[in-house]
Amino acid sequence: MAHRILENCIGCGACARACPVHAIEGAAKARHEINVRRCIDCGVCGMSCPVGAVQDASGKACARVPLKERKAPVIDVELCSACQICVTFCAAKALAISEPRFRGDVEAHCVLARPDKCVGCGVCEAECPLHAIRMEARG
Amino acid sequence: MKLPVYAKVDLTTGRWERFEISQEYFKKYIGGKCLAARLLLDLTEPGLGPLDERAVIIVNTGPLNGTGAPSSSRFNLSFKNVLTGGIASSNCGGQFGVMLKRAGFDGLIITGRAAEPSVLEALDGEIRIRPAPELWGLDAEKTQERFPEWYGKLVIGPAGENGLLYASAISGERVAGRCGSGAVLGSKKLKALVAYGSKRPEIYDREAFDRFILKWIRFIKRHPMTGQSLPRYGSAGLVNKANATNALPTKNFQRGHFDEADAVSGETLTETRLIRNSGCVSCPIRCERRVPVDGRELKGPEYETLGFFGPNIEAADMDTVLRMNWLCDIYGVDTISFASSLAFAMELKERGMADFGLEFGRTDKLEDILLKVVNREGIYSDIADGTKRMAAKYGGEDFAINSKGLELASYEPRRSVGMGLGYAVANRGGCHLNGGYLALLESVGVLSMDALTPKGKAQFTAFMQDALEAVSSAGCCLFSAQTFVPGVFFKLGPNSPVTKLVGKVMPHMGPMVALLLNITPAIAFNSLLLLPHAEALRRATGLRMFTGQFLDLGERSYNLERLYNLREGLTAKDDSLPKRLTRDLQDPSDSRTRVPLEKMLPVYYNVRGWDAAGRPTRRKLRRLGMEEASK
Repeated sequence: MAHRILENCIGCGACARACPVHAIEGAAKARHEINVRRCIDCGVCGMSCPVGAVQDASGKACARVPLKERKAPVIDVELCSACQICVTFCAAKALAISEPRFRGDVEAHCVLARPDKCVGCGVCEAECPLHAIRMEARG
Repeated sequence: MKLPVYAKVDLTTGRWERFEISQEYFKKYIGGKCLAARLLLDLTEPGLGPLDERAVIIVNTGPLNGTGAPSSSRFNLSFKNVLTGGIASSNCGGQFGVMLKRAGFDGLIITGRAAEPSVLEALDGEIRIRPAPELWGLDAEKTQERFPEWYGKLVIGPAGENGLLYASAISGERVAGRCGSGAVLGSKKLKALVAYGSKRPEIYDREAFDRFILKWIRFIKRHPMTGQSLPRYGSAGLVNKANATNALPTKNFQRGHFDEADAVSGETLTETRLIRNSGCVSCPIRCERRVPVDGRELKGPEYETLGFFGPNIEAADMDTVLRMNWLCDIYGVDTISFASSLAFAMELKERGMADFGLEFGRTDKLEDILLKVVNREGIYSDIADGTKRMAAKYGGEDFAINSKGLELASYEPRRSVGMGLGYAVANRGGCHLNGGYLALLESVGVLSMDALTPKGKAQFTAFMQDALEAVSSAGCCLFSAQTFVPGVFFKLGPNSPVTKLVGKVMPHMGPMVALLLNITPAIAFNSLLLLPHAEALRRATGLRMFTGQFLDLGERSYNLERLYNLREGLTAKDDSLPKRLTRDLQDPSDSRTRVPLEKMLPVYYNVRGWDAAGRPTRRKLRRLGMEEASK
C-alpha cells in the first residue's frame, strides 16, 4: 500500500521536499504523484500538505500537522554506536554525528543537530539497529 | 526463507532480466564473493579475457549487508582479474551495496559492452541503462555529483576509462581498489552504476537479530582493538608497529625499517592532521580518518597508502601522502599497485635499467606522473600496466614486488613469513587479506607468533583465509573480525609474559588448527568471541549456521576461487614470490629473514586437501558439497 495524492493538489511541492524517501515527483503547480514502489507510508506528505490533498493507504484523508506538533527523535546516547545509519537515511539532514571534543576523540554519538529540519518521519527510529532512537513529542 | 534476487544485465543489448538464486546455491554459497565465484564459474566461458565484451562482472551483497549488523555496508565486485588473469574479488564500503539492496536487488551480473558511455540505474526494482557520454572524462568526485545525493553510486574515474590495469571503482569516498575493477567497467563503457530504493532488507527473525546486534556492537565497542586502537589511529596505526618489527616495506622492499617512518605514522596523522574519525555507514568501529586536503575535509589514507607513498619510496612527507591518496581516489587508481609500480620504476632507475624520471626519496613529481600514467602518456603507459608487465619489458623480475601480477600489500614478508605464504597462494594475487593476513599474528598485532618460522604458518593461513572469506561473503568488513584476538592480550600488552608465551606456543598449534578445519560439523555453536557473523547470519536468514558451517562457507569460497584460477590456466607455479623475498636475506646476518616458501607450500596444499599440483582433490570438493564445480 501507499499514500496517494488527490486532484486538489496545488503542486506546491511541500510533500516532495519533506518525503524522507524521495518518492514524490511533480512539476511546479501541477498535481504531484507518489511512487508506490518507494512510499513507506510514513505520512509526512499528508502532514505537510497545505490543502489536504493526501490520502493514506486506507483511503483516509490526511490532516495537516505543523512541524512543531510532530514527533522528533530522542537519542539514547549511551546506547548509540555512532554507526551513522540514521544520519544516512535522514533525508532532512536533521541528524549528525557529534563533534569531537578534542583532536583524536573517539567518543561519538548521534545528535539531533537541526531540530527545525526534522519532518518527524520516524525513519531514524525504524532504522536504528540498536533501538537507541525514540520518536517523542517535541518539548 | 527469502532467496537472493539478482539482475542479469547485458550492456550490448541493453536488456536485463531477474535472476533468482536457487535455494541450494543460497545455502551453500550465501552471497558476496563466495556466491560470485560460483556464478563466475557457471556463467563465463574459460579463457575469456578480462576486458572481453562477454566478460562478466558481478557486483553483489551478502545477507548481512544493510541489515544494521555492524560494519555491514561492504559490497563485493568479482570479475576476471585484469592483472593476474585469475579471479578478482574487490570489496568496498560505500553506500552502493546498501542502496542496491533497498532497490530490490542482492546483486548485479553484468556482461556485454555499451555502444557509448552509459549509466546503469537500479531504482525501485527496475534496471535501466541509459547513455551518458557527458560523464566520460570526469573524475570520480565530479561524476558522483551529477546524481542525487541520496543515491548509492559506484563510478569509475579517467583511469578506468583509459584502461589502467589497476584502475579502481569508487563509491562515495570508498574504493574497490584492487585487481582492476575500474578497467573492467571502463571496457564495458559503464561509467556509473546508481541505486536507490526504500525497502529495508528482510530479516528472518528481526527481534532476535536486533537483540544479538546489540550484544555484538557492545562487544566491538569494548574490545581494545575495535573500540580503541582502530578508532584512534585507523589502519594507519600499523606504520609504527610494522616499522618496529622490520616489517615495513622500505625502498621497494629492500628493507623493512625506515628511520623517518614516524612522520607518516597513524600517531602523527592523529596528532597533527586528524579532524575527526568517521566510518562507513553501519560501522561502530569508525576507523576512517577525516583530514584536510587543499582546505577541504576529505578521507585520509589507509596504512597501505601511507606505507607505499612513504617508506617504500623512501619518503616521509605526510602532505604528499594525503594529496596522492585523494588524487588516486578521484582518478580511480589503486594506491597500492600504482605506488608499488612507482617504487619499482625508481629501482629500475637506480640500477640504470630504465628512466621514468622517478627517484627514491623524491616526491615532487608524483602528481605530474600520476596524470601521465592515468592518461597513458608515452612510456608512462608502462607504469599503468603494473610491475609484472614492466619487469617483462625492462627486466628486474626478482624485485618486481607482485604475486601472480598483483602487487603485494605493505607488509614485508621476510619479517612475516606466514604473510609471505599468504601472498603467494592468495587467489587474487599478492593480497594480504585474501592471503589470510598472518601479519596480524606475526608482526603488527599484539600477539607475536614467531614471524620467521615456517612452522604452523600453513595451518593458520588456511584457517584465517577461510574465516576472512566467510566474513566477506556474509557482507561484513574484515575489521569486524579483529575481535578474534582476545581483548585480554591488549590489556596485558605485547611484552607481558603471558602474551609472549602464547606467541611462542602458536607455531606448535598447527596440527590443532588443521584438525579444527576438519571437524567443522562438530563446531555446532556460536560465540561472540569467535566469529559473531555466524550467529548474525543464522538469525538473519534462518539457515542452520554455526561457526563450523561458517568456516565451511569460507573454505568453499576459497576453493571455488582456486578452481576458477586453475580453469583460467594458473598453476602451482604461480603460487610464488619474487626472488628478493624468497632468496635474498633481509638481514644478511640472519638466515631466517627470507620467505621459506618451499617449506610452507607443500604443507599448505596438504592442509587444504589439495594435491601436489595445488588442485583441490575430489575428496575435498565432495566434503564441501561442490564436486560438480570443478567440471
